[in-house]
Amino acid sequence: MNIVDIVYNPWFSGIVGLLLIGIVFVCAILAVWLERKFGADIQSRIGPNRVGGRYGILQGVADAIKLFTKEDLIPAKADRLLFVLAPIIVLGSGFMMIVAIPFGAIVIGDNVYPIAATQMDISVIYLEAVSALSVLGIFMAAYGSNNKYSMIAAFRNMARMIGYEVPLGVCIIGVAVMAQSLDIVVIAKAQSPLWFVFLQPIGFVVFFISILADMGRLPFDQNEAEEELVAGWGTEYSGLRWGLGLFGEYIHMVLGACLMVLLYLGGWNLPRFITDIFVLGSLMPIFWFVGKVTIIVFIIIMIRWALPRYRIDQVVNLGWKVLFPLSILNLIWAVALSLAFDMIFGA
Amino acid sequence: MSGVIDSYIPVIIFLIVALAVPPVLMFIVYNLSPRSKAKDKFTTYECGSVPIGEAKIQFNIEYYLYAIAFVLFDVEILFLYPWATVYIGHGITQVAVVEMLLFLVVVLMGYVYLWKKEALKWVK
Repeated sequence: MNIVDIVYNPWFSGIVGLLLIGIVFVCAILAVWLERKFGADIQSRIGPNRVGGRYGILQGVADAIKLFTKEDLIPAKADRLLFVLAPIIVLGSGFMMIVAIPFGAIVIGDNVYPIAATQMDISVIYLEAVSALSVLGIFMAAYGSNNKYSMIAAFRNMARMIGYEVPLGVCIIGVAVMAQSLDIVVIAKAQSPLWFVFLQPIGFVVFFISILADMGRLPFDQNEAEEELVAGWGTEYSGLRWGLGLFGEYIHMVLGACLMVLLYLGGWNLPRFITDIFVLGSLMPIFWFVGKVTIIVFIIIMIRWALPRYRIDQVVNLGWKVLFPLSILNLIWAVALSLAFDMIFGA
Repeated sequence: MSGVIDSYIPVIIFLIVALAVPPVLMFIVYNLSPRSKAKDKFTTYECGSVPIGEAKIQFNIEYYLYAIAFVLFDVEILFLYPWATVYIGHGITQVAVVEMLLFLVVVLMGYVYLWKKEALKWVK
């Protein structure tokens, strides 16, 4: 047995892969900090500036500690079971996504070793399925807390998710058509010379908007909507229970950025002459991947602070009446393009 | 390298961890956090006034149409996933592509019907 067999043993990779959860946790804490600091910069405020130096980089840690010492409240009218289970599902859906996402890869010569807890043959379907679970969690939270604001947020949220899940799925098929695989590692590898964003520009735009809406980010934010619904699904939540749900949303944001990089922006692929540099070259794909994810997270946060929020009917209309036809168009374009490739380069 | 079932072992491990972490955290919170004696803290938040009635309302029936449309399209789209992996390189390319286009036409006919019936219109 050589080292590769040991590392890719499912029990080994499953247990060591739990470290990935820790890494994503740190990234999510950094994303919370980035959102606050960067948002403050955009709005000409100061933002966090006390904990951990001038830039307040440890603000997220301080917040987490504070949440641990807050009283845990369950309102008298709440449905206790739903109320307690909901944050677990929101967070759990993030956890379950981490399993199948490769966070970069180590490239040695011709061999590519993706850094993922598992490599399934249908990982894109799996990822779509478990990411949709978080909406269920949010709905349970709202229904369980028996609050009017939460309830309105939950219904809107469901309508939003319903409208954007279909274009998202069609865009993923558009990518799968080109890579002829549903394995996210194969899809990432298939973009070796040319990223899919250049081959399917429409698909990328639709995917970007859909995933933005799917994560519940502004300008499609309907699950919190602070301006009119107090705090949406989280109105009745307090302390760490609320923190878990919110944290789940930030994990979703980071993972959504990862998906965008893997499916459309070329994943970790680097030209051969870079990866052939001894040791450092093998690790370069990881930095390349993380760098791209960071840029996407930056853009997502910038969009949040730059744009006002859409009304719910506008959100739903955009999903059903614009993005869905566009995504079908992109699918047909992707099929035509891959048939042309097949005819030119095929056997 | 490994079978199909093997690739789901890490999923099971992650599922167990995902279910175990929040209760452990909540146990820590339970031991750390203070408890106030106030009784009003258990009332539902409604901007300070006394809540009227229940929140578990029946939502507008048109909302249901979205759900139906979603189930229809999502299930139909699901058929395209396996298709996407096999349509090239198995000697069935022409048949597969034509069949997929026919399938999409049927799906889009349903879509146009829904649009014309104003099922995709958000009711104020």
